[in-house]
Amino acid sequence: MKALATIRLALMIFTVSSATSSLAAEAWNIPHEKAVVLKGRVVDALCQLKGRCAPDCGAGKRQLGLLLTDGTFRLVAKSNIDFAGSIPDLIGFCGKEIEADGLLIENPAITLFFVQGIRIDAAGPFTPAERFKADWEARNGKAEEWWRADPEANRIIAEDGPLGIKGLLPKPKP
Amino acid sequence: MTIMSHWQTMVLAAALSALPLASAAAQDGRRVTVHGEISDTWCSISGLMFAKGTAHHQCAVWCALGGIPVSIRDAKGELYLILKIGDDEDSAANPRIARMATHEVAVDGELLERDGVNYLLVDRIADDKGVITMTHEEYGIQPFGN
Repeated sequence: MKALATIRLALMIFTVSSATSSLAAEAWNIPHEKAVVLKGRVVDALCQLKGRCAPDCGAGKRQLGLLLTDGTFRLVAKSNIDFAGSIPDLIGFCGKEIEADGLLIENPAITLFFVQGIRIDAAGPFTPAERFKADWEARNGKAEEWWRADPEANRIIAEDGPLGIKGLLPKPKP
Repeated sequence: MTIMSHWQTMVLAAALSALPLASAAAQDGRRVTVHGEISDTWCSISGLMFAKGTAHHQCAVWCALGGIPVSIRDAKGELYLILKIGDDEDSAANPRIARMATHEVAVDGELLERDGVNYLLVDRIADDKGVITMTHEEYGIQPFGN
């Protein structure tokens, strides 16, 4: 029993040290943000929380997160690309251990992690979490701002209007 | 063990090994009805680009299609992150969810709480009032007024 408690304590110390030993993430000045490096296994949220698992973490269609060594689950919600999540950066590591450099935001309403860099080799450099743009451009072609060029977004905005109400348009700029 | 059952066992083992292990922490949540606005989670907690109503609709569509998780924000400011809607378990970059950006809704589903996050498995959209929070006259269209 004592040995079990010792192992648990060692795991907790390891988890805390791995979450704070390198503070490379750029501050974004978001309320409640904290720069951390999280070490954990890439898992899909629905599998982790509800046991509904897909062989490939949902093939990019499910939200993903990190299962830390102490059992904490952190959803990874955003990458370095504007208006884009982190799934393209994580999906190739489904089921694998990684280190993720980023910002943990412990907002009273929700706790989320925003990843800026990923590595699998603890001694190696972090790869910037910017895969979304390359994947999007491979499907749609080059664009300065992917969001304004996205065909699906433009379909929705054309149908419902930029304000989300059919027929309601913004006033022309003076 | 016959040769056929041996092969069946091998195939079953291979299939099981390809599946990620279901979490020991998998839970049964509680049934809830949540009322609130479909919210762009990133802008809601970052405080960027006034994340409410008409002003934010376009931005919320972009973020939803970019794969940023979508939540429902209730009247108290609590966020409920959507992981499933109806029979559809594709919660990332799902056009069905993106089309509901900034709508005022009531949904029935299962609430799972874990490590500071409310996760919602939506079974049914009981009501969808569309966009009713008028913010564009004060804030323009976000981002950047266009």
